[in-house]
Amino acid sequence: MNRGPRVLVAMSGGVDSSVAAALLVEQGYDVVGATMKLFCHDAALPDRPCCSLDSVNDARRVCDHLGIPHYVLNMESAFGRDVVDDFVAEYARGRTPIPCVRCNTFTKFRDLVRKADAIDAAFVATGHYARVVEGMLHRGLDPAKDQSYFLWGIDRAVLSRLLLPVGALTKAETRARARALGLRVVADKVESQDICFVPDGDHAKVIAARLGADAPALARGPFLTVDGSVVGEHHGFARYTVGQRKGLPGGFAEPMYVVGIRPESRAVVIGPRSELLGRGVVARELRWLVEPLGAGARVEVQVRHRATPAAAEVLRVDGDAIELALDEPVAAIAPGQSLVLYDGDRVLGGGVIEQSRPARPSLPVLAA
Amino acid sequence: MPQTRAPDAIYLDHAATTPVRAEVLDAMLPFLGARFGNPSSTHRWGREARVALDEARERVAATLGAHTDEICFTSGGTEADNLAVLGTWRARRAARPAIVTSPVEHKAVLETVHQAAREGGEERCCRITGEGQVDVASVDALADERTALVSVMWVNNEIGTIQDVPRIAAIAKERGAVMHTDAVQAFGKIEVDVGRVPVDVLTISGHKIGAPKGIGAIFIRRGVTIEPLFHGGTQDRGRRPGTENVAAAVGLARAAELAVAQRERESARLRVLRDELEAAILGAVPDAVVHGRGAPRAAHILSLSVPGVDGETMLMALDLQGVACSAGSACQSGSVTPSHVLAAMGVRPDLASSSVRMSLGSLTTPECVRRVAALFPALVRKARGAPVGAA
Repeated sequence: MNRGPRVLVAMSGGVDSSVAAALLVEQGYDVVGATMKLFCHDAALPDRPCCSLDSVNDARRVCDHLGIPHYVLNMESAFGRDVVDDFVAEYARGRTPIPCVRCNTFTKFRDLVRKADAIDAAFVATGHYARVVEGMLHRGLDPAKDQSYFLWGIDRAVLSRLLLPVGALTKAETRARARALGLRVVADKVESQDICFVPDGDHAKVIAARLGADAPALARGPFLTVDGSVVGEHHGFARYTVGQRKGLPGGFAEPMYVVGIRPESRAVVIGPRSELLGRGVVARELRWLVEPLGAGARVEVQVRHRATPAAAEVLRVDGDAIELALDEPVAAIAPGQSLVLYDGDRVLGGGVIEQSRPARPSLPVLAA
Repeated sequence: MPQTRAPDAIYLDHAATTPVRAEVLDAMLPFLGARFGNPSSTHRWGREARVALDEARERVAATLGAHTDEICFTSGGTEADNLAVLGTWRARRAARPAIVTSPVEHKAVLETVHQAAREGGEERCCRITGEGQVDVASVDALADERTALVSVMWVNNEIGTIQDVPRIAAIAKERGAVMHTDAVQAFGKIEVDVGRVPVDVLTISGHKIGAPKGIGAIFIRRGVTIEPLFHGGTQDRGRRPGTENVAAAVGLARAAELAVAQRERESARLRVLRDELEAAILGAVPDAVVHGRGAPRAAHILSLSVPGVDGETMLMALDLQGVACSAGSACQSGSVTPSHVLAAMGVRPDLASSSVRMSLGSLTTPECVRRVAALFPALVRKARGAPVGAA
């Protein structure tokens, strides 16, 4: 049998990556499936929709059904270092990290690509809802499922080797394809929503396991209003994120939100919605997926998954840092989340939010 | 649709399992068909099965130099090791709470020793040399009048080193301890004769020697008391209650006879092939490290590490070329976890994680070895970052 180029597909055992593999087989690729083992299948962890032993077995069965090889890759130590350690460190700094972004940047599209090199796989593929169009990363066609927000950190050079077969489908179409292909093991699987290594969606457990239950991030601290008055006590700032409404003291005239976290004093600062608005944003760890843009460039930005894109202007680019001015104020710009730059459906680049600016920063004075 | 296996695929994982030999299958088939009786029944079907089972026991005993009543069938090597360690320790624990073992044992022994420790036993782990050999002097220092048993495997399943079981058994005997050896990888590969070596309890497994999975045997020397793990009927003198797997026992007997009869010739054949493969790989990848190279080794195992190339990647690359090997210890998910054997030998973690085990056997031909010898270095170059497309 004359086979097409080889592609290594990251398979979680879920419906999206299973259909991705099946579509690539249909398209004539020489498909190799791999499930990454990213953390220990501890007895203490209940079965997860993603990454569990059952999921590995499901991926293996799907590959068997498709007639392709399947491997389990133990990437625990690198994932622990690049993703879980950072996740914990970010919460300890009062920020709200997105481990999926780092998993994509480091685990899937760096470490897995190296494995692909070793087996002569010209391409790597995943079940992400995003598309690569002419070497550029684009949003997935299903707006409800678009996952491009999580992919800004990948190495630009990887784009030409990246295949995202379900990015052109809706979730319903993906499920229909799974059923049509006879992939009954995964067709109607419940979608994974939580972070794979966080049991019961309780991220404090992971922090406690790494830093100890008495870590400052999990210790009692004050609720402050913006003017500095103490209005209550919380049980750990790592349990809060900018924009959060739940778990705050009551008795205010208007709804209150977390507007800031100060790890040095363990304070969670709360305020009304007006205090939550940012008119500028600074991000670090900047990566471009196109030719780098400079000051004055007009872009759309997203500061959160599923946020409506907001018009903005690049104020300055300085090494791995970028600052933008927002045309209209944006709520809940949370440090640690991703800032992703778009041009319509096209992803231009992104970074990790460092801070929001309450006032619209002025344009820098051009060098004389 | 199972993946089609290339007709020229190479199986180099005989230490994991072996195909059932045609003679073995032939011997078993009647007991999966017309001769289906329960050996405990009094009628003709039962008698027929009972006779076959007793003959199988006698034949297995003969291959080990044992008496017939010293052989008990189990579901495999793991059950046999559990019965050997826990059964012996539980029977002697009152006066002798300690167990002396080595850190390179199979998990079936190590985890069972841990279980004894959880039940109040005292675990004593002997020293291992950098070549993977049990330091006999350290066993000598650890075994005393409080030791219920000494359990040291005969041939290591990961790197193939042969332990000095005769000397260790002599030490155990002198201290009044029961000597157990896991001979799963030794049986059929080196001489295993309980008439010549004073081991008291010895375990073997069927599927490593051409019998099916799900059958093993334990030799229990006359006079050694073992507490059963299972409770039920009086099968096998109460040592192992449960209706016997007659067909598999007959298969094990046939496989054991063939393995012992062909041992010397087959071992010599595999040694030539293994040494050729080892030399070829070392010639092309001079920084590769062969584990246990300075120690006596069984002929069928070659364990090596290639610095800078993780074993998992090599396994994947080899498998995609049709070559089946293994690395470290496979865990339940099928992923590779760092080898406790290499760790105990003091192998650096990065080198341990780059280990690959090739194990030769009935399916291994000179042609297999030549092809792997040529392929392996090419895959190493690729894994070390040669550009895609380059050989």
